[in-house]
Amino acid sequence: MPTVKRYKDLNTDLEAVYHDIKYELQTGKELNVVKEQDGTVNGVPFKSIFAVRESVPKALTGTLREVTVTITGVADDWLLEVHTGAWFNNMITPATGGLIVAGPLGGLAASGTAAVYAVKFERDLKNRIKEIVKKRSKNPYTEDKVETF
Amino acid sequence: MPFVRRYKDLSTNLGGLYTDIVRELQQEKDLEIVKETNGVINDVGFRSVTAIRATVPRAVTGTLREVSVTVAGEPDDWILELHTGAWFGNMVLPGAGGFLIAGPVGIAAAAGTTTLLAVTYGRKLKNRIKELVKKHSGKKYTEEKVETFIS
Repeated sequence: MPTVKRYKDLNTDLEAVYHDIKYELQTGKELNVVKEQDGTVNGVPFKSIFAVRESVPKALTGTLREVTVTITGVADDWLLEVHTGAWFNNMITPATGGLIVAGPLGGLAASGTAAVYAVKFERDLKNRIKEIVKKRSKNPYTEDKVETF
Repeated sequence: MPFVRRYKDLSTNLGGLYTDIVRELQQEKDLEIVKETNGVINDVGFRSVTAIRATVPRAVTGTLREVSVTVAGEPDDWILELHTGAWFGNMVLPGAGGFLIAGPVGIAAAAGTTTLLAVTYGRKLKNRIKELVKKHSGKKYTEEKVETFIS
């Protein structure tokens, strides 16, 4: 499920936020930025960046497959969307002994310890974006200026 | 939310199926294939294709952003995953008059009538894939050979 946040009254430099996020994605060793979109939608500035996993994963279930970050709006009212996709995430069922994976991929979970998991990547990226938003906003960052959908 | 299906006892030509799925994505004018991954993971065959919207959309909310299709397994036991992503899909709330959209992209919904919506495209592709599975399977397709995982 993607995370969407609305930021109000922060006077944010959206261009700078976007470039900092792009840098974060470019420095992720397993990722390759494959597409950037920059324009306006009904008069509202819009930027979106798309990165995909570069190689065949060592493990499959839950491994990061793609990341999309989109920023749209104006300095005092804008939206951020972060989407991370993982392979076969909904086939992982928590169990007392760890993970149960159904189907022909059953054996793949065991080798997954070194994989870049989408859930961890997204958590780290969201924390990093929070720092970036604070850095690139002229008004003080407070939680009441941020709404999460 | 991705859609995963496990197919058993169909003797499916997975290479042929994958190629036809790639062709389906190539035929959609709003999409651009950006990545194909083909290999073996723990001795299980694995193919994955990702396509994304080629241009800035006319409307944002609900518009198809990316499609990813993955096929993994062997002819008689394999899994298909179909993911379609939409921009700001979780900000579209059904209302009596259509959609209620929060935030600065609110106005974008009005122009959305001619856009390629993720939900529509995902449904269309699922139906097409079902036809392709039948076409590329050496054994008879029946519903009990198919298990669907949605969480």
